[in-house]
Amino acid sequence: MIQISRYLSAISSGLAILAALATGAVLLLTVGLNPARVYYELFSRGMATHLGITETLIKMAPILMVSSGLILAFRAGLWNIGIEGQFLIGAILVGWAAPTLIRVLPHGVALLILGLVGFLGGLLWAVIPAVLKARWGLNEIITTLMMNFVGLNLTTWLVKGPLRDQTVVPPQTPVIPLQGRLPFVPFTRIHIGLVAGIICILAIYIIIKKTTFGFQLRVLGENRKAAIHSNINVSRVTILVLLISGGFAGLAGANDVLGVKGLFQAEWNPGYGFASIPLVCLANFNGLAVIPLSYFFSFLIVGGELMSRAAGVPIFFVQVIEGLMFLYFAGGEYFRKRKAGIHGASILL
Amino acid sequence: MESVEKPMNSECSEYVVDMKGITKRFPGILANDHIDFNLRKGEIHTLLGENGAGKTTLMNVLSGMYQPDDGEISVKGKPADIRSPHDALALGIGMVYQHFTLVPTLSVVENIVLGYESHLFLDLTKAEKGLKGIMSETGLGVDPHATVWHLSVGQQQRVEIIKVLYRGSEVLVLDEPTSVLTPFEAEELFKILKKLILVEKSVIFITHKLEEAVRISDRITVLRQGKKVEEIELRGLKEIDAQRRMNQIIRAMFGRIQIPHTVRESRDISEKTVLMVRELTARNDMGFEALRGLSFTLRRGEILGIAGVEGNGQKELAEAITGRRKIKKGEIELDGTSIANKGIACASRMGVSYVTDDRMGEGCVGNLSLAENMILKGFQQEPFSKYHFLNRRSIAQHSSRLMEEFNIKASDPWTRVNALSGGNIQKLLLARELSTHPRVLVCCNPTHGLDAMTTRFIRDRIKAETRQGTAVILISSDLDEILELSDRVGVLFRGEILSVSPSDEVKREEIGKLMLGIRN
Repeated sequence: MIQISRYLSAISSGLAILAALATGAVLLLTVGLNPARVYYELFSRGMATHLGITETLIKMAPILMVSSGLILAFRAGLWNIGIEGQFLIGAILVGWAAPTLIRVLPHGVALLILGLVGFLGGLLWAVIPAVLKARWGLNEIITTLMMNFVGLNLTTWLVKGPLRDQTVVPPQTPVIPLQGRLPFVPFTRIHIGLVAGIICILAIYIIIKKTTFGFQLRVLGENRKAAIHSNINVSRVTILVLLISGGFAGLAGANDVLGVKGLFQAEWNPGYGFASIPLVCLANFNGLAVIPLSYFFSFLIVGGELMSRAAGVPIFFVQVIEGLMFLYFAGGEYFRKRKAGIHGASILL
Repeated sequence: MESVEKPMNSECSEYVVDMKGITKRFPGILANDHIDFNLRKGEIHTLLGENGAGKTTLMNVLSGMYQPDDGEISVKGKPADIRSPHDALALGIGMVYQHFTLVPTLSVVENIVLGYESHLFLDLTKAEKGLKGIMSETGLGVDPHATVWHLSVGQQQRVEIIKVLYRGSEVLVLDEPTSVLTPFEAEELFKILKKLILVEKSVIFITHKLEEAVRISDRITVLRQGKKVEEIELRGLKEIDAQRRMNQIIRAMFGRIQIPHTVRESRDISEKTVLMVRELTARNDMGFEALRGLSFTLRRGEILGIAGVEGNGQKELAEAITGRRKIKKGEIELDGTSIANKGIACASRMGVSYVTDDRMGEGCVGNLSLAENMILKGFQQEPFSKYHFLNRRSIAQHSSRLMEEFNIKASDPWTRVNALSGGNIQKLLLARELSTHPRVLVCCNPTHGLDAMTTRFIRDRIKAETRQGTAVILISSDLDEILELSDRVGVLFRGEILSVSPSDEVKREEIGKLMLGIRN
């Protein structure tokens, strides 16, 4: 029973992707472009060039980390929409601490501690929504969303003020020297963030499936009333889940500062949160399914960038594809549920 | 078309609503089985029956929410094809739902014109005028400018009624209107309904509370398990006849459903008291006092049956004993140790188990597997988990063993509970609770809605458990079940237990009367 439904959701995710590409082709035709050529450029540059592959795999790392946190929260029925804020707080703490720590500590130790700093930064940014939710049942969607704005403005202020590197013109934290950043995976130009990301998502998969904590959060996510009646400590699970979820977003922040950018810059917001929410839905909140999908999402971002110059299609085109994928997926879910007899009308019973 | 029965002929045209042979199926359930139901102008016709009897479904058919699989509806003598609540409203049929459909942040007038605006601009003064007309005609008093969330539940219900009247309804359908009201508010509602029929409105009143039905109805139709079992005229009856009718209704509502019977064995119940409940007072979720100082004792190996019409404190009693509900006053002692207000953890550690009647809501998690639901309460103990990791193998073994013991039919332990039938789900709950070998088992309606075979199995299993010394509190609205299983029977009425007596000394009629609060 569970097996069948898992195949079904894999198929419906696959179909959603194909349908989105097909609709994209129609859109391209209407503006007088040759879809075959655009897709050729997209796929060949994104999937068959050294640059495309490397960049895609580098992009995967933060998406995997953010998705780990999202899956944990979503499976517990908690909608952490505050990834952006948690990411930024983690990133700026790392950007601030990194230059000093890397100078005074052995490289490996410094990186581990910085990873932890990023994690704690993100976690810190989830504390207020977590406590409000657990104690007074305040809607976490609103509180986490609001914390994004606070986080964005707070980090902007910090990087323009107290944490600014006074020696350069643009508002940013001091640059981390190249030899202080995340090392590469041997024989590649991909930094080890990808490995960390995969470890994160596997760890989350195991926690949800195999541990008592994961069991409790699944019960909570599926049926809160039954969780209370089974004597599960609902507030404890709620707080832990939201904090860990924020922590992973902060870790992604550390990854980008240490591996990609080498500093924290004002007005910088890669928007992983809102990119990853549709992704984990397409993956049906399954950690293992996130790995191929995050590859595909990163490929779209990277491939879209590389293609835009060659095929003369603006980069926004891949965002249209992403949006369409999600729309088709949601449509597919609707019909799947309707077929299974779980539809809106049952509410009226 | 023309009926030959002369005396009925004149009345026929008076039917504002006439439903004939209504049948409605849902997957696995026959919710309405060829039900005939009609309503005269200016009468209150009550649809009476237990939860799940098919009352709401029948009215959802009338209001266009569902399409019947079979049967005909005519309104004011004309055949009607009602495809949506909008159609029903156009025919003058308005439904007041159990859950209100008001917008809390808008005012009363705004709520009433909502979805009924005929022009681009709101003419609230005109609406208010119409509103005042309805209020003076029917005695429904509400401040038109009050914001809805400021109003009490009773007042909000009035707004719902006014809303339906404002749209020109002549037939009002009220779905369990008193379930959310205080006794005082209920009285007010009854007065309003009486006034409504004076101004030529007709009312269909849905309830599971017998006493209310008898008090306000002109006619009562009793439904049970999707079938119409009785229709009783109450208008113009004398007091004594009314009494007799009441017994008739009780029989219709709770009467014998053919369940193969096993002979009650005489068992030696030890004199040792396991559970003592003293002067227990507790509130329900709406803050009203649901339990009012009730006391009883429970002995080792005994089944104490608690009979009563639903909504008299059954749920609150079960929840108070099992640590799920705070109590205000009184004491609950298990083997001399207080367990009152100590929470679920303490109660279950001390050996108090609970089989809830809200199977899918509180009892289990539909999207998880059978095996996972089996360990819902014991997942933190070995062998199910060690060092915070679940042991999949022993969970499956545990579940397979219980599946066999309780005859739960599923392809394997990892089948999702959503895919199981109601009977198998109930067996799952019972298996889980009994696998901890409780000292006290509290069961609420353990066989509600189940087929005869499963019912038999569950009743026998509960009886068997008492031989191990488990004491059982059986809370049930099924009088046959109570009389079959219990060693002693108590009747719960408005949060009090009226008389507890050995079950071989009580008569069905007496219990029926006590269920309505009539004491000799």
